[in-house]
Amino acid sequence: MPEVEFTIDTATGEFQMHVQGVAGPACDDVAKLVKDLAGEPGREEATAEYHLRPRVHSRTDTHIRSKHG
Amino acid sequence: MSKYLAYPQIVFKSRELLIGALADVGYIDVDEGHDLPLFGYHGDQRPETAALVVRRQHIGPGSNDLGFAHADEGYFPIISDFDHRTLLGGQFLPRLRVAYAERVVETVRKRLRASVRRTTEGSVVKLHIRY
Repeated sequence: MPEVEFTIDTATGEFQMHVQGVAGPACDDVAKLVKDLAGEPGREEATAEYHLRPRVHSRTDTHIRSKHG
Repeated sequence: MSKYLAYPQIVFKSRELLIGALADVGYIDVDEGHDLPLFGYHGDQRPETAALVVRRQHIGPGSNDLGFAHADEGYFPIISDFDHRTLLGGQFLPRLRVAYAERVVETVRKRLRASVRRTTEGSVVKLHIRY
């Protein structure tokens, strides 16, 4: 399940965000939402997970028709 | 006379969230506009101007107006060195940043229609949003 982890240091007010469980650039959508609210980050890193391509499984449904009569 | 200091490295992107965060730390009366004048505790007008101002009457005796100037990146605080040292026990800016960050998280949670789990380790709060 996708998760966004926010870390707030209450002593300094420093704020960090880490998107987990979102493979590939889909996590950019969440990052953009946060940037729109919090501004441009001082540092931004793409994790190894970012460089993964989401897997798409194709599925073929087989319908078996039975003949009656 | 207390000197005003600007903190351009501390930027609050959203005016709405900043006003909410100011309310969270106890400042609910905020003047909004453009190039609003800032006054010191003697009523002396300072050369700095701001887009958001908490007037000194709402802060405390000896305080100066507290401003937020608008730039492309957002709003940054203009605060006197006296108030920087004394407001909320000298913790005004860290507490405002925390209040603002909490509002960012809550806004993201609502947009993603997600749940949030909070854990605390010392001074560090972790908020996990699952969607």
